[in-house]
Amino acid sequence: MSIPAAALRVVRPVVASPGGVAAAGADYVVVDRVRKVYNEGSRQQVEAVAPSSFAIKAGEFVALLGPSGCGKSTLLMMIAGLDAPSQGTIGVAGHALTQPRAETGIMFQDPTLLPWKSALDNVLFPFLAAKRAVGPADGPTRARAATLLDQVGLGGFHHHKPRQLSGGMRQRVAICRALVYEPDLLLMDEPFSALDAITRDEMNLVLMKMWEEHHRTALFVTHSIREAVYLADRVLVMSRRPGRIIEDIRIPFARPRGLEIGETVEFNEICGHLRGKIQHTPQ
Amino acid sequence: MPTAFAAALLLTWQALVVIFGYPKVILPAPSDIFVALRDNSAMIWQQTVPTVRDTLAGFALAALFGVGLASLLSFSRLLRDAIYPLIVVIQLVPKIAWTPLFIVWVGIGWPSRLTIAAFIGFFPIFIAMMAGLESTDRSLVRLCRGLIATPWRTFWLVRLPASTPYLFAGLKIAITLAVIGVIVAEFISSSEGLGFLILQSAALLRTDIILAAITVLCLVGLVCYGAVHAGELAVRKWHGE
Repeated sequence: MSIPAAALRVVRPVVASPGGVAAAGADYVVVDRVRKVYNEGSRQQVEAVAPSSFAIKAGEFVALLGPSGCGKSTLLMMIAGLDAPSQGTIGVAGHALTQPRAETGIMFQDPTLLPWKSALDNVLFPFLAAKRAVGPADGPTRARAATLLDQVGLGGFHHHKPRQLSGGMRQRVAICRALVYEPDLLLMDEPFSALDAITRDEMNLVLMKMWEEHHRTALFVTHSIREAVYLADRVLVMSRRPGRIIEDIRIPFARPRGLEIGETVEFNEICGHLRGKIQHTPQ
Repeated sequence: MPTAFAAALLLTWQALVVIFGYPKVILPAPSDIFVALRDNSAMIWQQTVPTVRDTLAGFALAALFGVGLASLLSFSRLLRDAIYPLIVVIQLVPKIAWTPLFIVWVGIGWPSRLTIAAFIGFFPIFIAMMAGLESTDRSLVRLCRGLIATPWRTFWLVRLPASTPYLFAGLKIAITLAVIGVIVAEFISSSEGLGFLILQSAALLRTDIILAAITVLCLVGLVCYGAVHAGELAVRKWHGE
């Protein structure tokens, strides 16, 4: 990178917190006693998420870590506005959430690309899907989409269709699509869980780089302890179903982080601590 | 390989007719059919035009209604639950059996033949389109919701293009059925078309002309099917396959 990351960093206007005080590092996402119950009132009633509360500060990268089926994805979908809580409230940027927001970027477990559109057109899809300030044909917007693809290492693949790309490459396109409309909040639901370990490390590096360049408030759901510790400023641990937050720790490593921090004693101590938390969850 | 086999079959046919001397009225040799085709080419061509016209128009109507109704039902759970099972049941009745009814309703001219072709072609298109729309990747639909796309935009940008490979499976069946529909309608009541020619030639015991007309029908069917198939290949290529 010839340009220092700090120069590219977009400084977002900090929206007034629910208290009305605008300040850097204010709570950007507030999850207040949110509970999710499926098939409520029926015999098959399942409590997916036990009442949970936490907050994410503006600009913070938070990982939500938990075993499979603990309700962490459900929680993320509720913060995305794609699923409604059974109880409790979610506030984003000072507003109560009732439906998906135009300013949230989402990455799913699958790349979910349109097979008939090229990589570049997939990145531009958010401008086609909904009315935004500019359309997909807007010159600067196309240029930004192209730059994003270059940044994730897909320089020569702008016009390839998804079927011609590998799994890791498709997920890179999905990263670009989630960033292209400059969302203020980035939600990621185990985006790399379907990839092999080597590609996954690679994708973590790409994501780190992109996050350092396009600083966004971010929530990353994963069941990989190392991935969570490597990526996040803060790790929240969820218990087995019904999921609730059982640990909330700060990750002290300075940025930019290289993959080599994974070899340090401190990194492995944190991982060990988190593993203990997950394994000794009282049922 | 299939071409070689067909040629061998024709040769055997020719040889059998020549060797055993079957009367031309019962089984004309391929050469007789060719002669009939050549000598009556103007008349056969004249009868081919209405058949092709009614087939294509009926097919177009079938596509319009099949895609239109399936699209409409994809927007409303209530409509879908009310109408879809009904259509599946009607579908089970042999459609050809409705032909005389349409002639009573629409008359004996080309409108009735076109209606029958459209009616028969409608079902495979409608059912394929329903399957395509229902099997649209749920995660793509969820992505659209996350990107605050309206249901209409989600339909236009994602559900409709995603279902085109299914649609073409239905179109391929529908085009062959449309030809059948038109021929049957021409059998029942018509004064033009290849179906009419076949029936008239049978009355005159002109087996050679019947087989010449069937040969032309084969070619018509092949060309129509080939065109739809080419469309399908183009769509698959567009989907990056």
